[in-house]
Amino acid sequence: MNRALQTVCTRLFTRPLLNLSSSSILPSTAVGINFIPCAWIRREKLTDQQMRLRYKKLHWHKFYDDKWVQRRGGGWDEKITPENVSFMQEMVYETYANKDSPLKDGPWQRGKFTIDPETIRTGVLGLKLGTLPQWDKRGRKFYVTLVQIIDNHVINYTPPEMINFRTLFTTRPLRRDLHGKVGMLVVGALSCDPRKFTRGYNGLFEQAGVPPKRKLTRFFITPNSAIKPGTPLYATHFRCGDYVDVQARSIDYGFQGVMRRYGFRGGPSDKYGSTKFHRKRGTIGSGRKHKVLPGTRMPGFMGNKLVMMKGLKIWRINTKYNVLYLMGPSVPGPNHGYIRIQDSTLYERKKMFTETNHPPFPTYYPDDNKSKSLDEELFADDIYRFDQPTLTLDDIQVAPLTAPRTAAKTAQKKK
Amino acid sequence: MALSFSTTNKFLLNNQQILRSVLILSVRYKQRGHIADHLVEHHRQSPLGKLKNGAAVDAFPPKDDTTKDLRTTPHDFKYVYPDFLPNPIPYLRDRILEKLERKDMFRRRQQIDIPEFYVGSILAVTSADPYAPNRRHRFVGICIQRERHGLKHQFTLRNIVDGLGVEISYELYNPTITKIEVLKLERRLDENLAYLRDAPPEYCTFPFDMEPVKLPPGAGVPLNTIQVPITSTHWQYKWERHDLKGILLPSLPRSVRKAAERFGEPWRQWDIMRQYRTEIHDDDKAEIYEDIEKHKEDLAQYRIDSKENVKITRARPKAAGRKAILDNSNRSNMSTSK
Repeated sequence: MNRALQTVCTRLFTRPLLNLSSSSILPSTAVGINFIPCAWIRREKLTDQQMRLRYKKLHWHKFYDDKWVQRRGGGWDEKITPENVSFMQEMVYETYANKDSPLKDGPWQRGKFTIDPETIRTGVLGLKLGTLPQWDKRGRKFYVTLVQIIDNHVINYTPPEMINFRTLFTTRPLRRDLHGKVGMLVVGALSCDPRKFTRGYNGLFEQAGVPPKRKLTRFFITPNSAIKPGTPLYATHFRCGDYVDVQARSIDYGFQGVMRRYGFRGGPSDKYGSTKFHRKRGTIGSGRKHKVLPGTRMPGFMGNKLVMMKGLKIWRINTKYNVLYLMGPSVPGPNHGYIRIQDSTLYERKKMFTETNHPPFPTYYPDDNKSKSLDEELFADDIYRFDQPTLTLDDIQVAPLTAPRTAAKTAQKKK
Repeated sequence: MALSFSTTNKFLLNNQQILRSVLILSVRYKQRGHIADHLVEHHRQSPLGKLKNGAAVDAFPPKDDTTKDLRTTPHDFKYVYPDFLPNPIPYLRDRILEKLERKDMFRRRQQIDIPEFYVGSILAVTSADPYAPNRRHRFVGICIQRERHGLKHQFTLRNIVDGLGVEISYELYNPTITKIEVLKLERRLDENLAYLRDAPPEYCTFPFDMEPVKLPPGAGVPLNTIQVPITSTHWQYKWERHDLKGILLPSLPRSVRKAAERFGEPWRQWDIMRQYRTEIHDDDKAEIYEDIEKHKEDLAQYRIDSKENVKITRARPKAAGRKAILDNSNRSNMSTSK
């Protein structure tokens, strides 16, 4: 991580910088030369179609680039005897069991949850398990997706001054509203044997004192919600009844035609005498313009791209297995796929948090609740719990189909 | 080609279904951004997850590798509890998902007595309905099919009401179902009785005030070997093509019979993989049956506790009289005849 930053900084120092005194667009938190402003600023906003065309093409990170640390290592036959193999495995487990966690000095000082300026909490990295049906107190069925949070730890925190946004937002639109305000937290999931990875990759986790993780993500957070590296994250980081944004890579369908990809209707079957027109797109041009418009929908690769679903409600939390029950069956991705979960950024859902009523900030620490034990299962208010008696729906008032007769009409009828 | 073997509508296997299942299979094995299935359990149980301050993985009890005596698990409990069968699509299965699902199922079974029944049994289901008189809706019918696994398990009841065939599909674990009574417990020769739609109406007409038929204690589930004639001219599905034992087919033209032979897939009797998929695997059998046994003990204890806590105040009702009973029966008849 540090090496990556160094290469980035050296490259940018060679470029001409703006005259800092004259620019009024810099935030007040700029700290000397470490803050590198954007030299190319677009005045007009891009239209929706322009944005779509820019970021429609899937950009893949170049793994041979020297910015990235080489990850996979080992894998060759080291010709170790079977006794030594088990011995080495035990050594690996022991080192991490006895390793001094950075948390022995206690966590960092907790920030305060503020509404103005806005507070952004960390997210969590989970694994999609599958779907189940649940019922609400009115007897209506809905589907929930179970997401399990296995082995999450905070790996690294970089303060806002050390971040250059332009290098991080290469494959998606630049978030200029966050520029300079947010720090970056790296969260890892699923601890692994360090012998599978290179020394460089294992070095990323030394500061945190955790085994190397299979999957890493980054979350942008405000500095008041910074967490010390090495802190574990649990499912109780969220509360039941809160709303959550979910981001994952959708199912890869491969190269698909226009009917499956965009839902085109295609043509009739051979039964009606249709000649060579069953699943085609049809015309690709319009009569006048002598070109194919960019963005024309054609066959191509479908799926396998980051999809964000906003405003999913958390119905239940299982604290024993660290499982969240999220609203809806259509959380993106295949089974056992990675999912990023964060507090919802929808306007109405952000308003629900106040200075007194907010989720555990900056995260849930088990030591806070040592006096009373945590329930194994937590429920939202409106969900039907299966250990409650049957729903009789007696308290539901049903409006009559016909409107009640007015006094004038009854008088008329009497006549 | 391994198609989905859930029992949903085996009679209608059109091109769309085949293409979709082929797509799902072809697509499954080239996914990115996910962890391999065999590694999920490895991570849940690995000691690397159990750190001093981590404890994120502390609560995953490792699966008991000790070989359990499978002779104690009855070989036919998959027929008694078909909702506990696992998902027929293997890559949609997950151990923790199934465990949490089973927990909910057992909790529901403590609230309501879900009896043992089979396809061909006659049931009476009472469910809470805010739009019905007395806020209860009672339906009697013969069980045509039982579909899906787990909390989604459904069963369909068929009856003919006022000359009109009515089928109602109930979810077994729906919390608005107040009572499930088995009026007649029996089995039929087939697992799916959708052919009753094309049968004469007397084969699926059952009175709503039917008295429950009591079996002698210790008796097995009786098998009704009735052969239902299929008389209507237009059949919903091509019944001659499916190996249905409980029907009496009329004389068919030669071309139809030949097509049925071709479609019949006579090699299926040697399809071991298909049989394998309809069974509960030995690895899961012991775990599921253990949970069922524990549930039975819990249920017995729950019933004892609830009886102790509840004060039974037996108040003899006022002389209701014959008129009240007649009114009640009239009201129930009116509600069901719709």
